[in-house]
Amino acid sequence: MGAPGVGDNELVAQVVAQQDPKAFGELVRRHQSQVRGFLRKLTRDIALADDLAQDAFLHAWDKLHTFSGQGTFIGWLLKVAYTTFLQSKRKSNRYNEILSEINHGGDGHAVHDVHEVSDLDRLLSVLTDEERAIMILSYACGLSHREIGDAANLPVGTVKSIIFRGKEKIRDNFDIEDHQYG
Amino acid sequence: MAERIKDAEDRKLEEMFRSQPIADDGFTVRVVSRVRRQIWVRRLSLPVAIAAGALVGLKPLLQVAGAVPQLIGLIPVDMLKLDALPVGGLPQASTLLIGASIVMAIMMAGRLLEE
Repeated sequence: MGAPGVGDNELVAQVVAQQDPKAFGELVRRHQSQVRGFLRKLTRDIALADDLAQDAFLHAWDKLHTFSGQGTFIGWLLKVAYTTFLQSKRKSNRYNEILSEINHGGDGHAVHDVHEVSDLDRLLSVLTDEERAIMILSYACGLSHREIGDAANLPVGTVKSIIFRGKEKIRDNFDIEDHQYG
Repeated sequence: MAERIKDAEDRKLEEMFRSQPIADDGFTVRVVSRVRRQIWVRRLSLPVAIAAGALVGLKPLLQVAGAVPQLIGLIPVDMLKLDALPVGGLPQASTLLIGASIVMAIMMAGRLLEE
């Protein structure tokens, strides 16, 4: 069973060998906060992020045998979560296009949950989706440039330049030094 | 971010991006129950599909199998060189059915073992 003292890689091996949902549950319990946090920042919609997180963990269950154990498990998991987000976004873009065609040129945007716009939301809004994902993976999830490259299928050099560009945009729009965000 | 040297701006950004840990609130239970459901659906799908297929297809299959000896009788005798073709060696309908059943049973057993 998934004892709390057991390492992630041992749990993964147990899940792959025995198709053990309890061991997988332990992995979910350990990493749900980070995966949900990543998706919440990325989507800026709590309900959507939690739905995507559930889907991401189900994809992880299906693809767990492909985890080689080379990098960290959370890095691999965030890659699955990011892929799930991109797939969902593509589907929703197509849905919005169809809706727009039906509505004869209506804006076709899905209605998002109206929630309080935080400072971080404002900060993230100046970034593109890709920049936002890379910045969150770097500054919120603490992944290395190599791990981010693996997660986003980008060369390390590209990751570095996206972070540089993201920082520049944030610097241009916000006074980071005076910021009081905890 | 161990591989790069963090400057004051990086530390400030980390602070801005930092958020409180998200409480589980039944999330893990929901994921695990979806995983269990998926396991059962996959485990049952093949046997159920085979059973449904057998229910639908058994009667016509038996009719075709029963008609095979009659169809063979309709072939003009001069088309067959009786001394060359071992008509008696053609498989009987029952043999075909048993063979098909064995193949299906092996496939089912293989799938269950794989699960």
